[in-house]
Amino acid sequence: MLELIDLSKKFKQLYAVKNLNMFIEKGEIVGLLGPNGAGKSTAISMLSSLVDPTTGDVRFHNKSILKNPSPIRKIIGMVPQEIALYTDLSAEENLRFFGRIYRLKGAELKQKIDEILELIGLTDRRKDIVKKFSGGMKRRLNIGVALLHNPELIIMDEPTVGIDPQSRNYILETVKRLNEEKQMTVIYTSHYMEEVEFLCDRIYIMDQGNLIASGTKDEIKRILSAEKTIVIKADRLNDIFIESLRQDPTISSVTVEEKKVTIIVPKEINIFPAVLKLAEEAKLELNSVDIKTPTLEDVFLHLTGRALRD
Amino acid sequence: MIGILLAKIKIFIRYPLTFLAMVVMSIGFALLIGGGNGNVINVPTYIADEAIHGTVVEDILNDSEAFNFETMSKDEVEDKIANGKAEIGVELYEGDFRVIVGVESPNVGLVKQTVEGAYSKKLQYEQLFAAANATTDSDKEAVKTDLEKAIADPVFSIQANNFRGSDAVIIDNRYHTLFGFTLFFVIYTIAYNVFHILEEKNNGVWDRIILSPARKWEMYVANFMYSFGTGFLQVLIIFLVFRFWVGIEFGGNFGKAILVLIPYVFSIVALSILITGIVKTVQQFNAVIPIIAVSMAMIGGAFWPLEIVSSKLMLVLSKVVPITYGMEVLNGVAIYGYSFSEILYPISILLLMGVVMTGIGIHLMEKRHV
Repeated sequence: MLELIDLSKKFKQLYAVKNLNMFIEKGEIVGLLGPNGAGKSTAISMLSSLVDPTTGDVRFHNKSILKNPSPIRKIIGMVPQEIALYTDLSAEENLRFFGRIYRLKGAELKQKIDEILELIGLTDRRKDIVKKFSGGMKRRLNIGVALLHNPELIIMDEPTVGIDPQSRNYILETVKRLNEEKQMTVIYTSHYMEEVEFLCDRIYIMDQGNLIASGTKDEIKRILSAEKTIVIKADRLNDIFIESLRQDPTISSVTVEEKKVTIIVPKEINIFPAVLKLAEEAKLELNSVDIKTPTLEDVFLHLTGRALRD
Repeated sequence: MIGILLAKIKIFIRYPLTFLAMVVMSIGFALLIGGGNGNVINVPTYIADEAIHGTVVEDILNDSEAFNFETMSKDEVEDKIANGKAEIGVELYEGDFRVIVGVESPNVGLVKQTVEGAYSKKLQYEQLFAAANATTDSDKEAVKTDLEKAIADPVFSIQANNFRGSDAVIIDNRYHTLFGFTLFFVIYTIAYNVFHILEEKNNGVWDRIILSPARKWEMYVANFMYSFGTGFLQVLIIFLVFRFWVGIEFGGNFGKAILVLIPYVFSIVALSILITGIVKTVQQFNAVIPIIAVSMAMIGGAFWPLEIVSSKLMLVLSKVVPITYGMEVLNGVAIYGYSFSEILYPISILLLMGVVMTGIGIHLMEKRHV
């Protein structure tokens, strides 16, 4: 359905996206995972025809959209990272405004507004001014506006940033429903790996403008099949212990988060005795040492040496 | 396009406070500084000779629009001058007068001129009465009536006027402050409306519209029309208030004064588009707009007449700011009574500025974004 071929975008001397290759099939949910500044937003701006690439091509049904973006624009519903609404208007007025922009009129527009308000759970708040909404409600309306014209492809750029867990779950469930019930194709960018894991059939992982991994969840996790993740917890981690771990040649990655150190080691190595010895030498009292099932976060850690939210 | 325009109008109606604040400030400053209809200077006046009462001198001084000749005792006149409560006072005698000056100002000459004019008129009347052998009050009254009739229906009339480039200029403080503050404050209203384009681009509303069947030119035109409409509405309200509430006549050319504002408002919308194209953030915009508005108002003669500016650099700079031409067209219409053909030059400059700045501004905005 949609293909990105060697797509690059350069701002002055800096590549925001470099040689990105992707494909999206009809009816699937594709995740674009990466930390802030990875190039996800630039990539989706290019694939939605909002930004011209420096080099490369975007092909929709095997035709380039660079010279004629109309076909793809007709089927896209865009959910920007920002709240792209008129916050001085009510929820209903916003939907009516964007509905009219999409040439919806009269009874059809009214029915669509009712339907969207129901879907995003804002029917009771339809007359309220958007700027008085909570972050979660604004995000829901932000999605609702993108659904007004029944898009085949919905592009969501970090739609759950800065909202409460309840609203976040609501949004994730709504996206899942849209995909399952209306066969809507979804491109979902996030730096929350659990969201991508929950929603997406296939995942592209980006970092610093480069695509560093892609495939289904299982395929990506298999990158770590030869390694295991071990989580060491202690109340007071000290520098001697961390430095010792970093200098151990069998440990491929060390990531420190407050009272927790995550290390990645080859599967065949029994690292426990070494960890306990290093802790003793560093006069550190450990709370626990656990082997963890690899997650996408671990894959990212393995590939970049950094956590997703760094 | 209509949808975008309607949404903006709805927001405008819902939140009119900024707009109203600008209208009130324009009116307030024009009234306070220009004096509105109360721009009359008090001149303490002592009538030294009772013979002045009932003469044409008293009539003329009482009818003065610029000065209020307030009669009081000699001591009171001197006190007021000494205490700085009045800058100038007058003592009137039967055939002569004395001007007491507290503070040297252009008003001294004007007061002197007014009183001299009144005495000249008195002398003229006395010569007419003598020539007509009018000795009794009724005879004098009959001569006066005949004279007034003749003046009302002259055999021929002379119309005096000032032309562009002539050294002779008329500076009317009421008009100047009204025009100056109107043209100054409307910059804020327009600029903050145009700036919504940048905000909408930053928050993704424009991206949504770009992906929709709406055309980009429709978005620019709708925003342009809205900004122009609110700016024009503001100046229209201010002028209507001054015309029908304060009673400013606009030289009998009120309709024309409204029409000549169109190119000015157009050029300010264009200037705002240019600034919006140059700045990158809301903070930059908020910092730049007051600097540009105030400096343009100073350079363009909105706060003081350009005629009193002697710096050649300032006068050269004034040629590139729209306010200069805005003031020129309004003064031309309201004070000098110029026809459209006589103010075609400043109108053309404003339109040219508008077209050029709109073009560059949109180009810069497009270059930065989509």
